[in-house]
Amino acid sequence: MKILAVCGFGVGSSMILKMTIQKALKAVGKEGEVVNTTISDAASYKADAIFTSPDFVGDLEGRVKAKLYPVKKYSDLDEVKGQVEKMIEEIE
Amino acid sequence: MAKIKREHMQIIDTIDNYEAAIDKAAAPLLKDGYITHDYIKQMKDSIEEHGTYIVLADYFALPHARPSEAVKANGLSLLVVREGVDLKGNDIRLFIVLAAKDSTTHMETLQSLAEFLMDKQNIHDVINAQSKEHIEQILDERW
Repeated sequence: MKILAVCGFGVGSSMILKMTIQKALKAVGKEGEVVNTTISDAASYKADAIFTSPDFVGDLEGRVKAKLYPVKKYSDLDEVKGQVEKMIEEIE
Repeated sequence: MAKIKREHMQIIDTIDNYEAAIDKAAAPLLKDGYITHDYIKQMKDSIEEHGTYIVLADYFALPHARPSEAVKANGLSLLVVREGVDLKGNDIRLFIVLAAKDSTTHMETLQSLAEFLMDKQNIHDVINAQSKEHIEQILDERW
């Protein structure tokens, strides 16, 4: 499973989100590759799922094939874990 | 090595608004030549343009912008606003300004910051620290 963590600049927030997703995957016992990138580059990646802020979900809708999972607070493990569980249910 | 220099930390009780908080939080990096005024403007513009995803956890925001010429050296600064300030509907009490010259050199620091932030107790303890020395101690031990 390939997951993108997306923010505006690909330098700070998406890196933090990537770490939180990795921790959430571990917690539910799943493997997955997580890559962080910017909102402008997100569409050029092949991915199964994209995690990003609710504000960016609208930007990406219709432009990407990957399923979109909004996350409000990127280092909130409970919130991210909830979306990871939803993703596993929907994609696998 | 210290993640954030003590002279780059500030603790205040209140501030008017989040724009002033970002100015205040970034002031030590500006003073020491890590960033220019442009970078501070870019951090604020980013919130207008991209929304509030820099609010990474309850009470915590990581103001930053794209790596650019406006960043002269990699650095972090910290501001605690004890009574909190509104950032578009979020009550923020801890700001850490990230200044990065590129997207790779800060990786390790950010990875360990991510771990630190996932434990809500850590944010709580920094916000309620009595002094900069105490914050430094918390960061040294747990970040």
